[in-house]
Amino acid sequence: MKEVAALLNAMCDAGVVRDYALFGAVAQMRYTEPVATLDADVLVAVPEPERIDVLNTIYEFCRERGYAPEGEAIPVGAWPVQFVPVFSELTRDAVAAAEIVDFEGVPIRVVSASYLAVIALGVGRAKDFTRVLALMESGAVAPEAIAALAARHGLGDNWQRFARRFLDDRG
Amino acid sequence: MTEVERLFERQARWQRQRQALSWPEKIRLAERMRATAEAFRRQRLQRLAPAPPERSRPNGN
Repeated sequence: MKEVAALLNAMCDAGVVRDYALFGAVAQMRYTEPVATLDADVLVAVPEPERIDVLNTIYEFCRERGYAPEGEAIPVGAWPVQFVPVFSELTRDAVAAAEIVDFEGVPIRVVSASYLAVIALGVGRAKDFTRVLALMESGAVAPEAIAALAARHGLGDNWQRFARRFLDDRG
Repeated sequence: MTEVERLFERQARWQRQRQALSWPEKIRLAERMRATAEAFRRQRLQRLAPAPPERSRPNGN
């Protein structure tokens, strides 16, 4: 992960991305027990988001440094890294509000617990709901904070459905 | 509380301790989990792959 952090920071310094933040399972693990995951997911804010080949400059930057893509990811050290351009106001805000975390001496930007939970709520697969529950159980984020952020980003109904399904019947 | 319930409680407490590990340590654990998952996946794919066709001998035996 240190190698991933160094690459992402270099990418930012070179202006290939305006900003970045780890999200998904790797980011979740800051707060919860370790979880099984195959990839490291990175949200990227790119200088020209309207381009069709939006990830090309990122892939080129990686290739020049010896990281060749395999399928939809770029293996960096122990981790296949998947780059996801910010795709909504929520993900843009999540990157802007990311926390800078020290990973064994290298700074890396990571999406915070409340944004992780609301992004997961928006995606809505079973494993995303598990993430929301794990983040709440760890005490990293309160239900009220998720509800407020979800409402701000038009996901109030998603939160209501989630709460009815998973929280109302808790013993 | 039954003995099994006490066991579950002890196990849950032990599992929760992993939450307190440092983030880099959790990442290393996840790397090991991933390596194991990939090994299982490779084994499964090998099992599912069709066996190479046997070559028939020239004399038909």
